[in-house]
Amino acid sequence: MDNSFLVSLSKLELMAFFSGYPLVYAVARSFSGNLKEKLGNSIASLLPLAYALTGVLFVGYQLKKLFPDYFIENITLTIQQPYLVLWGLFATLFFIPFFNKKPVLSLIHSFAFFYFLISDLYLQLFQSSANNNIIVNDMKVYVSSLLLNMSTLIIVVLLSFLFTYYKKHKKLLL
Amino acid sequence: MKRFNNKMLALLLVAISGYGLIASCTHTNDPIPAAVSTGIIINHGGHIHLPGAVGDTSKWKFDKAHSSVNWSTPFMGVGATLTGKFNQFGIADVTAANMLNYVTTAQPLPDTSWAFNENDPAKTHFNGYVQVNQVNTGEPGRDAGCLIATLGTTAIVAGTQNLLVTNIAQIKTTKVEFDPLSNNYLVTFNFTWKGTLGAPITKSIVGKLTYIPAAVAGTHREFGLSLAFQINCRDYGITSTNVADVITIQVNTNFNNQ
Repeated sequence: MDNSFLVSLSKLELMAFFSGYPLVYAVARSFSGNLKEKLGNSIASLLPLAYALTGVLFVGYQLKKLFPDYFIENITLTIQQPYLVLWGLFATLFFIPFFNKKPVLSLIHSFAFFYFLISDLYLQLFQSSANNNIIVNDMKVYVSSLLLNMSTLIIVVLLSFLFTYYKKHKKLLL
Repeated sequence: MKRFNNKMLALLLVAISGYGLIASCTHTNDPIPAAVSTGIIINHGGHIHLPGAVGDTSKWKFDKAHSSVNWSTPFMGVGATLTGKFNQFGIADVTAANMLNYVTTAQPLPDTSWAFNENDPAKTHFNGYVQVNQVNTGEPGRDAGCLIATLGTTAIVAGTQNLLVTNIAQIKTTKVEFDPLSNNYLVTFNFTWKGTLGAPITKSIVGKLTYIPAAVAGTHREFGLSLAFQINCRDYGITSTNVADVITIQVNTNFNNQ
């Protein structure tokens, strides 16, 4: 099989996880101001945690791909773009308070993958020979990524409210 | 200012996404073009092939060396396919007067009892025969041994072509017509064979004839005819349980104009 196909597939996988985050981030930050201040601030502050959760899902996906052979030879054979994949794995660092207190870092991190979509759109716009099927594919992956990142944000927000609710009621009980 | 930046970013990303959506539009709502017909296209050409003498390039000669008569049947009626062929066969009408032993290694009778008309099957006909004792299953011990008795014939005599009634199975066409479901032909013919019975019996059988159109093959032209049909060997007194009731026979014949 042509290696460029596997590289392209690897790029699409990364896009599927992270390319939808910038839009979710920007929309969530924009509209959080219109919500009650506490709720708005809460959603905005939870964005890096949602991103870290997406990163965990990406780690799980990579482990599933490598299963059951986790030896270095198999890892080097299976992972086509190691630096990009490593960059994707860094998303889990947003669980660390130092990083999740700076939401803009998560946006910068995800732009590395959003860039692929922009570059394909650019090629499609300015090079008539570009294959429209690439854009069709990219957009399908991008929509999937949007849904994934929205889902992780909703999950994190729900968990946060449950946690806050539980903490409040625990205090009352005590 | 911060909110303004976020809103600007959101608008920019929405604009990029929107452009991507438009650029990736596949027009799936456009009416689907009419489906291509999947019906079988039946197209019979106008080839007419008639037998003739060697050297006459307008006439066609049976290319026995590149033809075959093969048979197959499930082993014991249930197993994998058992196959074999006949080493000696021809395209001739073996009349009672011609049923003799011929001391020759060449074809005992001229292979000229046939005609083929691609677009007028009523004018197509052929008569053919196989020498039953020339059965070849790839096991010489069996072919010259138990099969001789199983098929009710006599052993091969070296240098002799045995066209006696006990050793030949014949086909004579009675009707050839277009196959309405394909580009082939349906052939009705009489299949005559004695087998292990006291006298030969004739059964009317329908087979499928395929024409492989004439084409240049090196210095001359070739065309082919393939006939596929089935017989019930029990009709001819074959009692061996090593073979199933139904025997499939595939005749592949080639003709050239040399």
